[in-house]
Amino acid sequence: MTAVPSADEVGRFWNDGLIARRGRPDGGSRPGAEPERLVPVARPLVPAGPRTTTSAAGQALRPRLDALRELVGLSRARLDRRTLAEAGRVLEEAAARHRHSLDLTVVALAGSTGSGKSSLFNALARAQLSEAGVRRPTTAMPVSCAWTDRADGVLDRLGIPARARRQPVRPYDPALSGLVLLDLPDHDSAAVGHREQVDRLLGLVDAVIWVVDPEKYADAVLHERYLRPLAGYAEVTFVVLNQVDRLSTDAADQVLDDLRRLLDEDGLALGEHGEPGAAVLALSALTGEGVGELREALGAFTSRRCAAELRLTADVDGVSARLRRAYVADGRPGLTERARQEFEDRLAEAVGAQAAGLSAERAWRRDAERACGTAFKRVRGWHDRLFLGVRARHRAADDDIEPVGYASPQRRTASRPLVERAVRALAYEASAGLPDPWAQAVREAAARGAEGLAEALDEVAAVAAETAATCAGGTARAVRPRWWAAIAAGQGALLAMQLLGAVWLVGTFTGDFGGPWWLPAELLAGGSVGGPVLAWCGRIAARGPARGYGLETEHRLRGAAAGCGRARVLEPVAAELLRYREVRAQFVIAAGEA
Amino acid sequence: MATLDVRPRLLDALSALRDRVDAARFPLPLPGAARARRNRAELLAQLDDYLVPRLCAPEAPLLAVVGGSTGAGKSTLVNSLVGRRVTEAGVLRPTTRTPVLVCHPDDHHWFAGSRVLPRLQRVWVPMQECAAAAYEAEAMDDDASADAVEHEPFALRIETDRALPRGLALLDAPDIDSLVEHNRDLAAALVCAADIWVLVTTATRYADAVPWHLLRTAKEYDVTLVTVLDRVPHQVAVEVSRQYDAMLEKAGLGDVPRFTIPELPESADGSGLLPATAVAGLRAWLAQRAEDPAARTVATARTARGVLSSLGSRLPGLAGASAVQHAAAVRMLQSVEEAYGRAVERVRREIAAGEALAGDALTHWRGHPHDSTPDELLNALTGSVIALLTCAADAADEGIAAACGGDPAAEAALAPRDPDGASGRIGVAVRRWRRCLEEIAQEEVRAAERDRGNEAEKTAALLAAALLGGGRAGAAGDTLARTLGAGAALRLRDRGGELLSDCLEQVLEGERDRRTAPLEALELTPDHQVELIAVLSLLQKER
Repeated sequence: MTAVPSADEVGRFWNDGLIARRGRPDGGSRPGAEPERLVPVARPLVPAGPRTTTSAAGQALRPRLDALRELVGLSRARLDRRTLAEAGRVLEEAAARHRHSLDLTVVALAGSTGSGKSSLFNALARAQLSEAGVRRPTTAMPVSCAWTDRADGVLDRLGIPARARRQPVRPYDPALSGLVLLDLPDHDSAAVGHREQVDRLLGLVDAVIWVVDPEKYADAVLHERYLRPLAGYAEVTFVVLNQVDRLSTDAADQVLDDLRRLLDEDGLALGEHGEPGAAVLALSALTGEGVGELREALGAFTSRRCAAELRLTADVDGVSARLRRAYVADGRPGLTERARQEFEDRLAEAVGAQAAGLSAERAWRRDAERACGTAFKRVRGWHDRLFLGVRARHRAADDDIEPVGYASPQRRTASRPLVERAVRALAYEASAGLPDPWAQAVREAAARGAEGLAEALDEVAAVAAETAATCAGGTARAVRPRWWAAIAAGQGALLAMQLLGAVWLVGTFTGDFGGPWWLPAELLAGGSVGGPVLAWCGRIAARGPARGYGLETEHRLRGAAAGCGRARVLEPVAAELLRYREVRAQFVIAAGEA
Repeated sequence: MATLDVRPRLLDALSALRDRVDAARFPLPLPGAARARRNRAELLAQLDDYLVPRLCAPEAPLLAVVGGSTGAGKSTLVNSLVGRRVTEAGVLRPTTRTPVLVCHPDDHHWFAGSRVLPRLQRVWVPMQECAAAAYEAEAMDDDASADAVEHEPFALRIETDRALPRGLALLDAPDIDSLVEHNRDLAAALVCAADIWVLVTTATRYADAVPWHLLRTAKEYDVTLVTVLDRVPHQVAVEVSRQYDAMLEKAGLGDVPRFTIPELPESADGSGLLPATAVAGLRAWLAQRAEDPAARTVATARTARGVLSSLGSRLPGLAGASAVQHAAAVRMLQSVEEAYGRAVERVRREIAAGEALAGDALTHWRGHPHDSTPDELLNALTGSVIALLTCAADAADEGIAAACGGDPAAEAALAPRDPDGASGRIGVAVRRWRRCLEEIAQEEVRAAERDRGNEAEKTAALLAAALLGGGRAGAAGDTLARTLGAGAALRLRDRGGELLSDCLEQVLEGERDRRTAPLEALELTPDHQVELIAVLSLLQKER
């Protein structure tokens, strides 16, 4: 018999085509596995070599096991070990089971003390193989009976000692060929060791025959500890009501109906009307009544040769149902366009884009007014600017007085609380539809991205402020509109007109110049009225471009801030979401929902 | 026998103890809390149903409760003891859904009132209808509330029969391991009310874990116990009973009286009665306990004493669970308080560093007064403070979530996080602060007789900038001092600073209190523990 491969070999080569070679004697399976060693596990393998027919259940099972393995690998960093332990165990069991022939069907007889498991075992084997008695509990050690000569590997795996391995009377009953029957200890006696053994073996066998009796069929311990949790295994479950000889026929029917009702309440699908599900039979191991039917049912079940795969399918179903909470949550995961927009808006608010735009607009208008203003205003403007310059320098000096330990003032422009809030809101939105572990990962990604974000935004704001400062310097304004110069020239002309008018008027009154007095007076009046009118027109004309300039400044700053946020926070978060989607896709395959 | 005289002081101590136990609550879902709740309910049931009535009326009939697993043949046994079918028996499990009490007609008055088992409604209807009524009661109960142990409308049917001796009542309890969970609770409560526990098991069941658990409990309480090994097939009777004796001996229950009842065709179908000879031994034993005053006193006193002394170990358990609850509550409160304490500190530090003067506010401040109006500056500063506080509150909530992460008790006892509501409340509080600021600015401006144009608004904006700007807005203070005079400016800054700090503290304390309100409402004080121990020591002095 082949040596049991080490755990990591099992882990890597569980699907190396052993199923394909299951037709061969067990001994031949190991060497053939060698050449496929380097094939990555992630890719579902097409088994090499001629495949014997495999059941539909087996074909559906393989991709699901692949996906489950992939899933475990992908989520190891996200989920804790306890959550994944069961999936790992199922994969290991699947690997271990696949190493043994799937022609064998391992069926265990389980039940309460005194239900007659051993008697039924003996009745099926047609020999006194297991000790049956009135002492409770009777069977302390599981006993096996194999209708095949190739069961040693399987029995090794089950941990049945050699002295407890029995064989039925030869020649083997051909109907039951391939059956390995186990007689388990009870699950409800005061001897705790028995229960542990039962729990261990129930995890390893392919199918279970639950033996109940009229007295104990409604025991809470049987239904609550075993049948309800194992409801998913209906297809590989038999429930037999033993000891019907103790009841009258009527009473037996009543009890059987009541048992069916209880099983239905447990959620166990019953195999009635040809539907897949648990078979429920009444029999008496003592008188032999009904044992033949059970043999027939067992024979049919064994000859289908799919018990192991059905059981593993139920295992995968169970584990994926329990993992569902870790992989699927209600709600659609993902970042909506609105959430992104809100994030960018918040960042823009944090760097003060709107206020910057507003102040740029006002600065532009002031410049325009100054350029288009009347000559007298201009003189006052020069004076003001001198004064203002002093003020601005004061402000800058104020900013320099910073508490120790803070970055230089010019760099600390972005509002930290707003940045923090923006990131938090984004993380909240992004993790809304995610199961806990993945939501945590998204939040962590966002928090990591947020670490240098405020400083980067300071930088952005500083660059923008520098551009604005060079613009506001006046000398270097990139595009100084032509019409400013035209209006300035007009204002000059009007001033000249005023001066001319004034000189002329004085001349007229003193008599140095001739002509009517009203002409120079009109010149003077026209000049004095035209200046403010022209300035007013300039102001009106400046409104539009100023607004445009302000908006442009705002957009520039907003764009720069948004770019910063995108690179540092949005992209890592989106990547994390993408990873989740991948995992979820694998989960859907593993859960058999694809 | 001294123990069973009516002793008012002992009764007083017991009723004080009962009230304390009744007052004990274990609302937090901590490990062990479910167990403590169950223990409390059991203890209450035992005090109400058994100990207090028994000590009040030592002469009341003995109550023998027949308990055991499903299908052990309890009902058949009771029917056989009485000699007629008083309780339904059958092959379908669980059989007994409404417990039945059988007593002599002269003893009827002892059980008709609410002296014992006050929580069970007495049912008088004939048998068939009674079963239907019980079903309905169960259905109603499912609809109403499954977990409110106190309000379950369980029913108790009382039958009288002259076949029973005076001074003895038999109670047929539901299965202790029934699939119907209510039945299980009811069975436990009934067994707790017994003077004599009659535990029934069968030849196939005697090694089951469930009956053994009950036997061990009986030993722990040192009650008057009798076991019945039912349904023993003739051919194995000797071996099985020897085996069972050995197991009892090993468990330290060797001196417990035990009776063996053979499996007969009548017991198989559960419909008939067993012949009188089969149950004669048990019947005689029970009758002797009821009729012989000495034996009777021994039987009742033993159970009562056993239960009384079991209080010595059970009450400290409850007190311990109560202390654990209190400790958990204190721990949670502390972590919430720490988190919000850190939040207050953080907000203070950030404001001192001028963190609020950033973003929009900073731009407006730089542009003030030429590019930005005072109103804009004030708006931006208010927004900054709101952001700062919201952020601190969020961070505090996150800190709490990290500290109590995955703790079901915290999830149950702390109010859920409410980021949207919090930012709304913070906004209201900060805008109120702003209005206060504007008012005091107006006052000072009026006092300085400079109340023209938007001078008040300007002053308020400068004041806000000076308060929030830390070192960054020194110019604001200078301007204020220049326009209002140094004294007035200083006064204004002091008042504004006070308002700001009040506002910050109020906001964060409000949020903290909102989170802890449900926990505070649970009133988990250390008093429960202290009082439980106090009443116990009082009781022990009285015994």
